[in-house]
Parts: sequence; C-alpha cells; structure tokens
Amino acid sequence: MLLFLPADVPKKRTLLSNLGAITLFNTVVAIFITYVLNTGGSFSQNWVFSMLIGTSITLLIDALRWFIWRKNKPHKTIFLLVCAMAAPVGYYFGLTLGFLIYGVSVPGLAQLLGRGDRVLVVMCIFISLIAGIFFWNQSKLAELKIQAEKEKALTAAIEKQAMQAQLQLLQAQIEPHMLFNTLANLQGLIALDTERAQYMLEQLIIYLRASLNSSRTEKTTLKHEFVLMKAYLELLAIRMGKRLTYLLDLPTQLQAADIAPMLLQPLVENAIKHGIEPKIEGGNIHVSAALENGFLQLKVSDTGLGLPFGYDESKSSNDGSHVGNANVRERLLALYGVTASLTLIPNQPEGVIALISIPLPA
Amino acid sequence: MHTIRALIAEDESILALTLINMLEKLWPDLRICSNAENGVAAVQEALTQLPDILFLDIKMPGKTGLEVAQELAEEWPDKHAFPLIVYVTAYDEFAIEAFEHAASDYLLKPISEERLSKTVKRLQSKLANSQDRSGELERMVAQLRNLVPEIAAVPPQQAEKLTLIRAAVGNQIRMIPLTEVLYFEATDKYINVVTAEHASLIRLSLRELLPQLDGQVFWQIHRSTIVNSQFIQTATRDESGKLTLKLRGSADKIQVSRVYAHLFKQM
Repeated sequence: MLLFLPADVPKKRTLLSNLGAITLFNTVVAIFITYVLNTGGSFSQNWVFSMLIGTSITLLIDALRWFIWRKNKPHKTIFLLVCAMAAPVGYYFGLTLGFLIYGVSVPGLAQLLGRGDRVLVVMCIFISLIAGIFFWNQSKLAELKIQAEKEKALTAAIEKQAMQAQLQLLQAQIEPHMLFNTLANLQGLIALDTERAQYMLEQLIIYLRASLNSSRTEKTTLKHEFVLMKAYLELLAIRMGKRLTYLLDLPTQLQAADIAPMLLQPLVENAIKHGIEPKIEGGNIHVSAALENGFLQLKVSDTGLGLPFGYDESKSSNDGSHVGNANVRERLLALYGVTASLTLIPNQPEGVIALISIPLPA
Repeated sequence: MHTIRALIAEDESILALTLINMLEKLWPDLRICSNAENGVAAVQEALTQLPDILFLDIKMPGKTGLEVAQELAEEWPDKHAFPLIVYVTAYDEFAIEAFEHAASDYLLKPISEERLSKTVKRLQSKLANSQDRSGELERMVAQLRNLVPEIAAVPPQQAEKLTLIRAAVGNQIRMIPLTEVLYFEATDKYINVVTAEHASLIRLSLRELLPQLDGQVFWQIHRSTIVNSQFIQTATRDESGKLTLKLRGSADKIQVSRVYAHLFKQM
C-alpha cells in the first residue's frame, strides 16, 4: 500500500518546555509587584523571587500532571484545579528557596500568612490559572495543527493512490477503434473463413481477459504481459496481413519476474498506432526483455514512421502519443523511483526504440 | 445504360473482401473496379478508373479518406461526373458527428447489411437522377469545407501562433518574419516558404503549420498551398473556370482549387 504518514510528529508541549514564555510571565509579575503593588523590594530581588515561585509552581503542575494523567490528555477543569492548588504550595516552596538564597531565616507558614502575604498567594493562584489556560490553549492549537497536517498527508496519499489507479485504468482501456475494427474483421471472417474467425475470436478473448485483469491488479508477471501483447499483436497481424510482422522475446528466467501491469502494452500500442499503421508498407515490431547491470530492460523497437521531426523528450506536448509516454513515466517514477526510466530513441534505419529500465530489488 | 463501377479504398483486406461480398449480394449489377489498400493508391486508382462510387475508409496509411476526397475534388477531370462518396469508419465520435452535420453518407464498421442496403438504395436513386449527379462535385466541396476542419484540424488550444519562420539554408538559419511570407507551398516532406526575395524549405507538413497561423491573414487555397491574403492583388478565372491568384511582389501565379474557390466570390 502507498499510504504513509509523516514520521516526525512533533512532541506534545509541556509547561516546562515553554521556558521562554514562563520567564516572560515571571518578569511581568516581578514588574507588577515592584512598580504597581510597590511592596518595597528592589526589582532584581522581586524578579528572583518571582522566578523561583513561578518555576516552582510550573514544576509542581508538570509533576502533578504527569502523576495523574501520564502522557494522556488532562481533563480541563481538573487540570485548572491542579493549577490553582499548586499555586500556594509552589509559592511557599519558591519563597523558602529565595529566603535561603538571600540568607534570611525562613519564617513558618502561619507567620507568612499573617504577614499579609495572603494577597500575594491569591495573586499566585490567579496568575497560575491564567497561565494554565494560556498553555492549555497553546497545546490545543499545536494539537489541531498536527491533526491538520496528518489529514493533509493522508489526503495527499489518497490522491496519489487515486491518480495511480486512474493512470493504470486509462492505459488498460481498450481503444474503441481497435475493438470495432477487430469485430468488423471477425464479422467478415465468419463468412469467409470460419477457422480463422475461431482463431481470431480466441485471441480477442485472451486480449480482453488480460486487459481486464491488468486494470484490476497492482502487480503481474512479465509472462502475463507477454501473453497480453501476443494476443494484441496477433489480432493486428490478422487485420494488417503482410503489413505487420512481430517477434516477442522473453527469456525463460524472466518469465516470473514481477512488473506493474500496463507499462509495456502502451509502448506496443504506440509503435503500432504511430509507427506501423500509418506507414504504407507497414513494418516489424520486436519486444524483448533482458537483465543488464541490475536493471530490467524492456525494449520495444519498430521499423515504422519514426519519431516526429524535432521530437524533444524533455518537452511533453499534448498529442496523443506523448500523453501515453508521460503516463508511463509518471507511473514508473511512482512505482520504482527516480532510477527507473523510459527513453525513446530513433531506430536504424528507421522507426523508434522505446526502452523501459527498472531497477531490480536488491 | 453503362455499368455502375465502384472503387473500394480499405487497408484491411478482410474488411475490403467483406464489403465486396455484401455488395455482391445487395447490388449484383455493381462492378467493383478496384480495391486500393492505402490513401495514395486510392487517389491514383480513382483518377485512372474514374468510378461512379467511392467507398473510402477514413483511417488509412498514406492519406486519410478525407484527404483522398479533397485531393479528388481538386484533381477530378471536368468532363466526368464526380463520384458519389461513402465514408467508412470504425469508431470516432467526432467523425460521426461531423458526417451527420455535413449530411454525408457514411457506414460504421462492422457494417450492418440493413444499413448497407439503405445506402445502396440511396446511391441507386441518385445515380438514376442525372440532374442530381451534376451537382455532386459542388455538394462534395461544400461538405469537405465542413468536414475537413472538424476532423483533420489540430485542437486549437495547443496551437501557438508563429511570428517568425526559422528555415535552414546551408549552415545558416534564415529568420523570416511571417509578415513577409507571400505563400507556403507543400512538397513531399517539406514546405517551401516563399517571400519576395527568396524561397526556403522547412521540414513540416501543412497540417502541422496551419493551426500555427492566423486564419484571418493566411488562407488555405489549395490542399498544398497557403497564401498570405495581404499580398493578393487579383484573382482571375479563365475560360475553363480555373482560378489563379496574382500576388504583389511576385511573378508567380498561384492556383486556387475548387474546394477553396468560395473565398474569391465578389462581395
């Protein structure tokens, strides 16, 4: 299957991972305490305390969160309750740490509350709640983004798969012109030569069955593709008479080799349609498979009209044959990667050689 | 009364034989004078055999059935009645639509006997009415005018308009502004680009060139000629009805075929 998901899903944000934002928060609080509440301490002193308290609360919330929910998503109300409860504890812890740093004896809890720190504790709870909501929303946003990315990747994968299927179907399509001409020949042969009519009908059945199978599977064998091609070329040889001769060359050891369906067939159809059919004297088609330097080489050479004058492989124009080649190229790229290729070169003395080269699995 | 003769142009021999057998049954008096296996042979055979009826396969090597009809309309000798044409095609939505539109006679492969017998009756009644036949060439010319662009033309969206012709002359590339081109004349594999000063060959077919030209300025006047209308001085009709163009800046006389004679009617 071609479905895939991005491997690097970003890690979930924790409060601690937002160190920068926390520092900013704490600094704002320190400024507020120093210049608005005017409690008397210097800014630097208030900033140190603010940082200690803020970080303590943060660590406490993170620890509690890990303890309660592990890696799961916390319940919002309970999470905010945890934030509110962690605030006074963290406040006391941070304050104690600060006093220790500045070498001041640590007052007891009751003493602290009596000192009028109640306002600050309430403020802490308040700030903690705001921070909690802020970070909650932040992580929610990140989550949504990840989800959106996941969905996008999934859509892209599905689209790619659909395109593949469409290209394959397009190439497995039986051309109505070919079908009706074959039927017209059958109609004639039934009256003229029943034995040959019988034979032609058999070829048509093989061709139709193989084409239908090809449009439904993702993988087939070279043998199957050669059976399909033989039936197709046989039908055309009956119709075109002396104007078409062909040779199919599949070495025994390659018969079971895997191949995507409908890669080789369009090349043979192009050789007929643009090479042999429009040429008054007709010509020959030679299809062969070989292993060379770790690549499977599939070659369709014809002695038809040849490439159009000024043909440029890099330019994909709109006419029918080039669309077919572009489809084959796109499918080669999607199925076998950049080392797979389709090249068209002039055949000597005339005609075209189409060569598909597919890397063998190591 | 002379024997009615038909020519069949069909590249697949089984199909040609099938049609012959069906015709033998439905129209025993009809004589199949020839069976051409490609477009080029079809034109040659038709011009030497001068049949009354032509069955033309659309998709043939060499020339398509429509190209054959167009070439015959241009080359058919005046003193002979133009043949009745029946197009034969396997499957082509556009072609069928165009045939319906142009009211031309066509058969679908595989050919049904019922349909062919209708065609046979229609052909017989037309051949019996000599007045009907005298207008056949005009009718065919008018039909081709509708059919040819619809079937043969390259889809317009891919045609980029040219402004400059680059022609190789020796080891040089000659740049010819389109505004200086008097006319284009197709030869076997090349087009001769003629200006007042010189003529140069480019390797292209008229079918490829035509969609790249501005149809208001460049007029096709023959299956192998496109003329720059800006340079046309006069169009002269001689006693036999042949139309010839005189261009400014050139002594060349350019033939207008019957198919395109309508371009030079007076206003």
